[in-house]
Amino acid sequence: MSARYGMVIDLDRCTGCGSCMIACASENNVPSLPQATARTGLTPLLVRKVSNGGEGEKQREIFIPIMCAHCEHDTPCVKVCPQQAVEVDKATGIVMQMPQRCLGCRYCMTACPYHARYFNWWDPSWPKGMEKSLNPGVAVRMRGVVEKCNLCHARLHAAQEKAAATGKREIDPADYVPACVEACPTGAIRFGNLADPNDPVSKEALLPESFRLLAKLGTEPKLYYKSKEGWVRALAESNPARSSEVQHG
Amino acid sequence: MSDALVVTNEGRSMKLTRRDLLAWSAGAAAGLIVTPIPWKILDDTSIWSQNWPWIPQPARVPVEISQSHCTLCPKGCGLRVRMAAGWAVGVAGMKTHPISRGALCPLGYGAHQLNWHPQRLREVRHHGSSTSWSEARAAFDKAKSEGPVVVIDGYPGRAASSVLEYFAEKNHGEYRILPGAELRSLRTYEQWTGAPAASLGYDLENSQTIISFGAPLLDGWGTPGYVTRLWAGKSAGVDDPQLRIIQIEPSLSRTAAKTWKWVPVREGSESALASGLARVLLEQNLVPAHGPIPSLTVSDAVTRTGLSEDQIRNLSRVLIERRPAVAISENENPSIAALNVVIGSVGVRGGIVRKSKTSHAYVSAGATISNARAVLIDSSVPWDFLPQTDGEVFRFAAWSGGPTKADWLLPAPGFLEELTDIPTAPALPVETYAVAPALAKTTSEVQSAAQFLVGIDSSLAPTEKIIHDRCADLFHKHSGTLHGQESIAISKIESIQKLEEQLWKGAVWVGEPLPPRSLKCELKEWPAETTAASASGWASSWKAPVLPSLASKLYIESNLRETPERGNA
Repeated sequence: MSARYGMVIDLDRCTGCGSCMIACASENNVPSLPQATARTGLTPLLVRKVSNGGEGEKQREIFIPIMCAHCEHDTPCVKVCPQQAVEVDKATGIVMQMPQRCLGCRYCMTACPYHARYFNWWDPSWPKGMEKSLNPGVAVRMRGVVEKCNLCHARLHAAQEKAAATGKREIDPADYVPACVEACPTGAIRFGNLADPNDPVSKEALLPESFRLLAKLGTEPKLYYKSKEGWVRALAESNPARSSEVQHG
Repeated sequence: MSDALVVTNEGRSMKLTRRDLLAWSAGAAAGLIVTPIPWKILDDTSIWSQNWPWIPQPARVPVEISQSHCTLCPKGCGLRVRMAAGWAVGVAGMKTHPISRGALCPLGYGAHQLNWHPQRLREVRHHGSSTSWSEARAAFDKAKSEGPVVVIDGYPGRAASSVLEYFAEKNHGEYRILPGAELRSLRTYEQWTGAPAASLGYDLENSQTIISFGAPLLDGWGTPGYVTRLWAGKSAGVDDPQLRIIQIEPSLSRTAAKTWKWVPVREGSESALASGLARVLLEQNLVPAHGPIPSLTVSDAVTRTGLSEDQIRNLSRVLIERRPAVAISENENPSIAALNVVIGSVGVRGGIVRKSKTSHAYVSAGATISNARAVLIDSSVPWDFLPQTDGEVFRFAAWSGGPTKADWLLPAPGFLEELTDIPTAPALPVETYAVAPALAKTTSEVQSAAQFLVGIDSSLAPTEKIIHDRCADLFHKHSGTLHGQESIAISKIESIQKLEEQLWKGAVWVGEPLPPRSLKCELKEWPAETTAASASGWASSWKAPVLPSLASKLYIESNLRETPERGNA
């Protein structure tokens, strides 16, 4: 049975600590290059601060983790890629990026409505010796290609290998948990199979307080957010990925 | 036209005209576009230049999982460390840890890269010049023989701390500590209860209302997993939560943005608000009046805090509506401590409780140390702390935080490079004990302050021996539970060796809570008001003067928060 992996992020529980960002970068061997800036750095997962624009006691803020939404329908990055370096994996619904095919034209970055794609401007490098701390499960990507969240695909591979070793065709859901989900100290990021109606995450995605950013584009993103605050749900019509500190409301 | 340009074909001569040359050039240009060869060369060159042999690649070795504990601050969160070829290649939270419950602070997720931080100290330095351990030892020996030694520890309670303390005592010196914000917030109760601050804790799990005066509860205060999971489970996103958290703070901090209620007050008016709330509660007989009444009137509190009288009166009612309630201050603040006494939160379940009867009181290090010939500063002391002294300063550190006036810089073990034990974290309501073995290989010749002292005085017990003795004491206590892969009562563990084995594999001992009433508190007079010290910041407990490179990178690139003023890679 094919899965549709997705996430529900409870924004009322996100404290903006940034653990998810650091765990993601560590898991995926993202280099911390001193020359990188907010415009040129690699941040497959980025936490943004959004304010309601209120004054005094009425002022409110939330933190919203932005990453690839793994659009299911008319996936913009897939449609524009001249190299077929991006594809939606039919078995998992994960939007995959193949650096070996990518020629670095960056059409996909322009097409992505969530600004969740990043260009690798420099050869990856680390301070002397730090390469020993790299995750052996994830290859280092080369300069000149586009990168993005792949829902910790290496962890999926490991779970599939484990299942195969025990003669099973399906993975144990407990074996496949992306790094950001594992790291969230408040359990705000939940991960599961949206194609399984009994999966708690697919049930949560259907709640009235759940929403998707820019759902009006019709790309069927598999990244849901959730909040009981009306002004937060109104973010569905906007794009908080556009600026580092968004005023809304 | 020269003969060289005359081409012979079957005995006939043919001249290359200008037209022929242009036609040939156009054909060559068109052919160049159609043929794949130049494009292939360009592509291959590009791929070749993107995959230089010197670009680091991860080692292709099997990954093993080890359990340990974070040693980078006194919170001691449980770690699940992925190890490959003797190096840590990934860090996550230990889900079975009874306190941190699988959570870490954000910095913990990049901690395994710290040992290769460009600011890592790898050699002994004397006034900036490279020297040797033997030189440092000789200089310390000489200074010690000439006068008293003061030893400063930033993480008291460890086996290594015992070595430092015993050495200071034996040499007629002084042992001083640098308490963190949580321990400082409990200091006031020492004089009112007679119990040392280190033996006290906040029983937040059983609280129904928490009023925090600037303490960054959701941003690094206490053990991160303990507090954030409590908030997430009982308070987050609920209009009428099971646990009400009220944040008193001048600006909308991360904690204020997420708590049930945020009350913005004027900077430095936290003490006035605490006294004002106590005054309302006592005047209106909302709480039993056993002790003194604050001299500050409600109208004074209104003037000082910028809140209205109604707001203060309502807040006082909310404070006692759902009890147990407890007030937490960011630093030592007698007025806020007195508010806890007024609302009956000292020595009760859900308030301030005593967790240990064996802890002893520590003396804090002052900004000036006189009459010391040598000052030895442990690597657990924040880099910025350097007392005024005439003595020779021996500063242990794993990372350099920039220029320092310390005479000697001595490279200490980095993350997971040293065996240490993890005593109870400050502010916890129960005692805990764990061991963090040296999982990672050391990258240079390093020594901890305790190892250095044991090297000088062989009569001192090494850290390993003290940890072994502590395990034996724990075994003979027959009390508490060991939380590892499964939870087991200490009384059911067969031997000291079995207990040690479990602790070395990452298990955590949790003691039995003491009866709350074992803590008696007496407030004879309302304390003089103090201006609350400014908040210590979100990473104040972090003992390294540098942040993990990934944390610095991501906070800067996301603009999510300002990184503390530390040396960042």
